[in-house]
Amino acid sequence: MKKNGLLKALQLVPRHLFLAILAVFWLIPIVWLVANSFNESQFMNFGRFFPENFSLTAYRLLLFDSESTVARFPVWFMNTLQIAIFTSIISSIFVLMVSYATSRMRFRGRRTLMSVGVILGLFPGFLAMIAVYFIMRSFGLTNNHWGLVIVYSGSSGLGYLIAKGFFDTISETLSESARIDGATESQVFRLIILPLSRPIIVYTVITAFLVPWMDFVFASIMLNSGIATDWTVAIGLFRMLQRELLATHFARFCAGGVLVSIPISILFVIMQKFYVESITSGSVKG
Amino acid sequence: MTGTLKKVDKKKPHTAIFDFFRDIGLDFIEGDIFVKLSALVMGIGFFRRKQIIKGILITLFQAVIILFGFTFADHYLSRFGTLGTVERVSVFNPETMRNEVNNFDDSFQILLYSIISIVVIIVAVAIYLQNIRTVRALEVLDRSGEHIPTFWEDIMSARDKKFYLTLLSLPCIGIVLFTIIPLLVMITVAFTNYDQQHMPPANLFTWVGFDNFKTLFTNDITSSFGYAFGIVLTWTLIWAFAATFSNFFLGIALSSLINNQKTKLKKMWRTMFVVTIAVPQFVTLLVIRNFFSQIGIANRMAADWGITEFLSSIGLIPAHLDFIPFLTDPTWARVMIILINVWIGVPFMMIIATGVLMNIPKDLYESARIDGASPFKQFVYITMPYMLFVTAPFLVTQVIHNINNFNVIFLLTQDVYRTTDQMLGNAGAREIDLLVTWLYRLTQEQYDFKMASVIGIMVFLVCAVFTLIAFNLVIARNKEDKFQL
Repeated sequence: MKKNGLLKALQLVPRHLFLAILAVFWLIPIVWLVANSFNESQFMNFGRFFPENFSLTAYRLLLFDSESTVARFPVWFMNTLQIAIFTSIISSIFVLMVSYATSRMRFRGRRTLMSVGVILGLFPGFLAMIAVYFIMRSFGLTNNHWGLVIVYSGSSGLGYLIAKGFFDTISETLSESARIDGATESQVFRLIILPLSRPIIVYTVITAFLVPWMDFVFASIMLNSGIATDWTVAIGLFRMLQRELLATHFARFCAGGVLVSIPISILFVIMQKFYVESITSGSVKG
Repeated sequence: MTGTLKKVDKKKPHTAIFDFFRDIGLDFIEGDIFVKLSALVMGIGFFRRKQIIKGILITLFQAVIILFGFTFADHYLSRFGTLGTVERVSVFNPETMRNEVNNFDDSFQILLYSIISIVVIIVAVAIYLQNIRTVRALEVLDRSGEHIPTFWEDIMSARDKKFYLTLLSLPCIGIVLFTIIPLLVMITVAFTNYDQQHMPPANLFTWVGFDNFKTLFTNDITSSFGYAFGIVLTWTLIWAFAATFSNFFLGIALSSLINNQKTKLKKMWRTMFVVTIAVPQFVTLLVIRNFFSQIGIANRMAADWGITEFLSSIGLIPAHLDFIPFLTDPTWARVMIILINVWIGVPFMMIIATGVLMNIPKDLYESARIDGASPFKQFVYITMPYMLFVTAPFLVTQVIHNINNFNVIFLLTQDVYRTTDQMLGNAGAREIDLLVTWLYRLTQEQYDFKMASVIGIMVFLVCAVFTLIAFNLVIARNKEDKFQL
């Protein structure tokens, strides 16, 4: 009996060893990032994986050096936060409105509208972006955070499909009985459907909130003034790795990467939780 | 399956647009004199039915549109055919002692404002046509002696029967302004000669018909776009499929490995992989780029452990190099990009697969076990078909996403990768460029907007053709109503 148990345990070793090797591969870049953020010398480590001396210099320089013309992390963070909050509010409202209308209401042209959405999704985003840049410039909204909010949230209605999928699963009998009781469609939306949609609302809000933190390209086209205090976190960190700065700013880049990852990963975990919830338990049966 | 779908399609004789125009025609013919007069002054039908406020508003709208048409739209549309004829000239004025600029034409402004005008006019015409229907419906209501809604009741219906209009109007305006109009502008740019030699406001650009499309397919002394397009398109397609399917299969494999009942500490393993998603992609990609750079840590370790020497001896590294050109040699870079994308994408796929795997009905496996199917057979005959069925739409969107996957290539290779292929370089492309990164660099580095637009249209065509084929082959349409109970 005991021998059998030992054999069984031995059989488990290769499987777990394999997983461990994979996990090491996946964690190497993350560990390297964190290790380098604590590097006392600010250069990139050429010779060794872990830095020689650990210190918090990079974090101190990143957070409290308000003289620097290239590394203004606190300003970038606040810029991005501000842009993200407004983008998130506008985008979420747009997405929920479009998904409710296309999912729960039947009207002429609904299918045509949805097909147009699919076709628009097949064009590369940059193509439109170039013209959007010129349009925003003619309104004086380039190098302006409101301009970026408008660019991020303007077309957000197109991303309605996931929320629509959720609304599709909510039983029609619920809204039907509310209508019999004399509720208007907007009351059904606000008082019946939205309270049932917490998972998808949280998911939508967080997804929209994360866009400005992750986006590099649109931001770098719209905020092209070269003034460090205008930038978002993504542009700022990218610029730190330009050839002429790489040597002196690599540790600061890593520190910035670590700092920005903390709030994002928390939000990401919450978002995942609500996403799974919206898929698995979303279908409220009437 | 496709057979039955086609039959359903044939039952539906006209499109929505055809119906729209037919109904308006009928309404106009059948309507009384006030309906017909509404085609002239939009408010008349409303005045007749005592909907005064609505009548005034719609007539005001008509007046504004007509004014718009004769001023703004006319100003730009009249020059739309040439995109401007007066070049910018700066002349020194001895009286004011200053350089003065003449009243020049800005080709891009003409193009942009013309398209805005066209869109406004199309929307106005649609509202105008719809107005005839509304007025006719009012007449029918009046004739049958029913109650005509007051202005207040009309507003209230925006919260009930017409609630979809309230919901959709703002998002749709956003989409028209920030997607449709910009796309129309860029599509038309593909038919002009807007490039570095023709940059407004200093220069004019004009229509050139299909010349740019011809350039994209020609390969001679004047243009190497044909050559570059072939290479970039091939790589884009290889990349899109390799990236999608490597992530798909490896993600499912990893997920089944972790979720297998023999695996201990499932949560810990899952977390270890999910950690990599939590760091924003632009950070991880930039870190990895430096990790694999010429003087980076990966190269140092490979040299210390003799890997570089070994690879040199079997000819995998070009002879003149004493380091591994991870992201600088065409072949190495392509392989590395796909591998790095596995690193990025597999944890994502693992999360998605975990959700789907849990939903596979357990009794399927139960009966398979009773029939004596091995775990491998269960994986091949139950898990994979189920996954493929459930995730087919996801796979299609994923291929589209990867065709447009700008971040991975751009962040890994920008400022690092230089092409040595003269002909590619002339067209502004590199071996590892996707169509979208090529497009981006053409606009940002070469200011070649005309070719960038042509490439953008090509991306659209590739995506559209792929989507059409995939959706007809794999995905049954009209599924959405089935889930609504």
